Amino acid sequence: MTAQTLAPAGTSTEVPAGAGRPPRFNWARARETSANQLFLVPVALVFVVLLVVPLTQTFYWSFTDFTGYSADVNFVGLSNYRKVLTDPSMLAGLGFTLAFTIGTALLITTFAIPLAVVLNKKFFGRNFVRSVFFFPAIPSIAILGLVWGYILSPLGSGVLNSVLETLFHAGPYPWLSDDTLARLSVIVVAVWGGTGWHSMLYLAYLQSIPADYYEVATIDGASARQQFFHITLPLLTPAVVISNFLLMTGGLKVFDLPYTLTKGGPGFATYTITQSIITSGVAQGRYGLASALATLFAFAVGLVAVAQLWVSRRIERRVL
Amino acid sequence: MIGFACLVGVPLYYIVVNTVKTQEEMARSPLGLPAKLFLDNYRHVLETVPLGRSFLNTLLVTVASILVMLFVGSTAAYAMAMRASRFNRIFGALLLLGFIVPGQSTLIPLYRMLVGVELVDTLRGLVVIYTGGSIFVYFLIQGYISRLPFEIIEAARIDGAGPFQIYWRIVLPLIRPILATVGVFQTMWIWNDFITPNVFISSPEKQTLVMQVYRSVGEFSTDWPGFMTMSVVVLIPMVVFFILTQRHIVDGLLAGSVKS
Amino acid sequence: MTKRRTLAALAAIALALPLAACGGSGGSGGSNSGKLTFFSWDGEDTMKPVIAKFEQENPGIKVEFSNAPPVPEYISTLQSRILSGTAADVFAIAAENKTNLINGKHVVDLRDKPYLKNVPKFNQTTYSGPDGAVYGLSVASWGAGVLYNKDLLAKVGATTIPQTWDEFLALCHKLKDAGVTPYLESVQGMSTPLAAFLGAENQTTGDTMDKKIFDGSAKFKDYWVEPLTQWSRLWTEGLVTRSAVGLTGDQVRQEFVTGKAAMMIAGPWDIPGIRKAAPKLKIEMAPVPGIAGGKPYLAGAASPGYAINSKAKNPEAADKFLAFLATPEAMAIYQKATGAITVTSDFQPTIDPALSPIVKDVRAGNVYLPQIAWKRAEDILNVEATAQLQLLVQGKATPEQVANALDTKLASTS
Repeated sequence: MTAQTLAPAGTSTEVPAGAGRPPRFNWARARETSANQLFLVPVALVFVVLLVVPLTQTFYWSFTDFTGYSADVNFVGLSNYRKVLTDPSMLAGLGFTLAFTIGTALLITTFAIPLAVVLNKKFFGRNFVRSVFFFPAIPSIAILGLVWGYILSPLGSGVLNSVLETLFHAGPYPWLSDDTLARLSVIVVAVWGGTGWHSMLYLAYLQSIPADYYEVATIDGASARQQFFHITLPLLTPAVVISNFLLMTGGLKVFDLPYTLTKGGPGFATYTITQSIITSGVAQGRYGLASALATLFAFAVGLVAVAQLWVSRRIERRVL
Repeated sequence: MIGFACLVGVPLYYIVVNTVKTQEEMARSPLGLPAKLFLDNYRHVLETVPLGRSFLNTLLVTVASILVMLFVGSTAAYAMAMRASRFNRIFGALLLLGFIVPGQSTLIPLYRMLVGVELVDTLRGLVVIYTGGSIFVYFLIQGYISRLPFEIIEAARIDGAGPFQIYWRIVLPLIRPILATVGVFQTMWIWNDFITPNVFISSPEKQTLVMQVYRSVGEFSTDWPGFMTMSVVVLIPMVVFFILTQRHIVDGLLAGSVKS
Repeated sequence: MTKRRTLAALAAIALALPLAACGGSGGSGGSNSGKLTFFSWDGEDTMKPVIAKFEQENPGIKVEFSNAPPVPEYISTLQSRILSGTAADVFAIAAENKTNLINGKHVVDLRDKPYLKNVPKFNQTTYSGPDGAVYGLSVASWGAGVLYNKDLLAKVGATTIPQTWDEFLALCHKLKDAGVTPYLESVQGMSTPLAAFLGAENQTTGDTMDKKIFDGSAKFKDYWVEPLTQWSRLWTEGLVTRSAVGLTGDQVRQEFVTGKAAMMIAGPWDIPGIRKAAPKLKIEMAPVPGIAGGKPYLAGAASPGYAINSKAKNPEAADKFLAFLATPEAMAIYQKATGAITVTSDFQPTIDPALSPIVKDVRAGNVYLPQIAWKRAEDILNVEATAQLQLLVQGKATPEQVANALDTKLASTS
């Protein structure tokens, strides 16, 4: 999936080394190729040592009764997988996890791109504004839980409820105590926390758009709106793909934000898949079971991720 | 825009303003400005927390990890961009495993691995763990590299530049905006990460700054003034760092437009 | 370019410094025979004075302290260290990890140690194995009950603390009519009044309730429906807003200290914060009033115990450390730092007067918490129970449905 579209439309450069079939063996090219492949050695090392080896271990444990405390384990075959697939509570988190993933991905993308365009302009206090938007992602999730819990408190004394009371004489609203409102609130807080971060990503990618595109467009009389939709947005496609890939994979794995705000409640309204991996596996010393869950989950997320990349690749081709 | 930013910033304001109030005042008016500047929280932190040592530890780990990550990530993205062979494409897709696997599931195997090579409870061990973030760096850079004006690289090649020269002299300067951005992202992550050092570090003198934030967390209750004050202390160097690196993102704009 | 060189130099230092600083010794222990490693449940501010005193009395021993915030972070950090043989000599055994620690033989039996002599039976049995061995030195207990704002109570003419749940609800009605929020509790975990009702029931059945549920001779349904029904009267009678389901403990306390709520669920840990935030408030804590002839009772448990690693590098020092922790001298320091209700018989803790109505019961071990009394699948059942209680508060489930859901859950985990 990596680097097929090397150049933007118009610069019809082909991939230098891989293109064209060489009639016979070319030493110079081989040397260049191997020098090039040398650049992959560090990442391959990281990949094998920090990912493949531990994953193999986890995969192995998923077939055992590993407790997480002692390394002598017994092989139990597929029984962990059978348990996971027959337990109805594993599905409890599925609905909200999907809603959260799609909701945050859509909203953050919608807000982050225009925000990046604005933050790219020069204006008074820009550094300050950039910092404010970026920093929600920083302080620990525990503090954010405290602060947002206080803002969204269902009581009349909550910040949001007292503001609404003063302005509109409305409320108090049960922000975190009603199923639908709690789900929405969690998504809104996630959007608040993630938009700035993703707009920094877009901001970086905006720098790769040559300024003369805009100059030509301005001379041709294109409005700012037209420029945004016909230059900025199409050329940001790789960033959109990356940002959404991160939002999708991150969203499916989400745990700590909903947990801090609502502990998964009320009822099971904001319960997530990762929360069920943690409570029914890790916390009970049933590490084998947790490993099986993690394996199945990684597989499912992988499928979604591949599908998403495939679709966006299509869109990307059409746009460019 | 500034007004909107202020609205978004309310929670941050809440944190900062309550570190300079007494607990009584915090309970009475959590959002109001303090009637009188109350600095006991900060005094307490300065007196009881080994800030200098922890700061140095965090700084060393962060700087080393970021340099390694940027190197690994950018070389990988460069190699993939220069040669889109089938092998490279498949390898690139496999790398995405790093995003798919839940972090909790590799923690125990990694810990055992570091114990095996005697790197557990060392700062170097932390750097090794953080190097895993290279895959994220690679992922962000590869999308950026694909948008570069390829004629420049082609021209350099014709002038006889080898892959190393092209990487060092042409590609790296061209991708500065994304290097700076992803550098900021990863710095924020490492600087604020609590889970990894909490598991991997046990000696008091090797603790990182964030570990000090969690001193005030108890089983049933948290000393929020202490927690928030320490959080602000951790945050300050990051704000400074963030504002300083902003320049590089704008620099990239100029460089990019001049060259194309 | 110069900047890049500075960075490179920094990186070199970054890699070299720790190399020099730690000389390759990984984990705990090492060659120093006088070093004792201690992985603590309590934070550094709490334990530092205790350790300083211990080191002063045992000049040969140096304690290396580390900690992780409870509960999940503590449990998982300790777990990975035990698995890899790098765990500290002394660490905490808690309700959440005792089964794994004991079954895996990772902790030393303390049964015959002299320092257990002053520890009440309740705290010993909490951390004992099936064979009667004791694996943790637990020196404190906690109990949660109802905290009353006596000024607000006086406003509606109430001068005594209610003894029965009916009286309690009547008081709630009075307060509500006077325009005061009568009562608040956070329902983001096991409910304290519910646990207290069940605890009173368990005591009258001679501590057999959970045994019967878990050996299959009884069901949750048989014991839980009435307590659940009584507890839910808070909402069915309109005394507390159903929105309270989304409140955290911190928010409840905020309402209480600002004088907006007259009664709240609290434990000893709430008192110092309340004293600081509202020094003038007149407060008193009491057990949860009883239902249907039951006695007032407390939710609570024994605090985590100190345990000795069975692979400790310095077992003698570990033993000395535990012996020291149980002395009146150490208890005095610990108690001063935490305000905890200590239980060792040769030390009388000085406790905030607001807590005096509960101190005796807590020290005697007259407290109950379902997830501790349960025999297995504690976390899974606790998560299910919390979610079901929230549905009950929201009015989306009946007491019968809640109890049945727990029976179903228990059946699915066997």
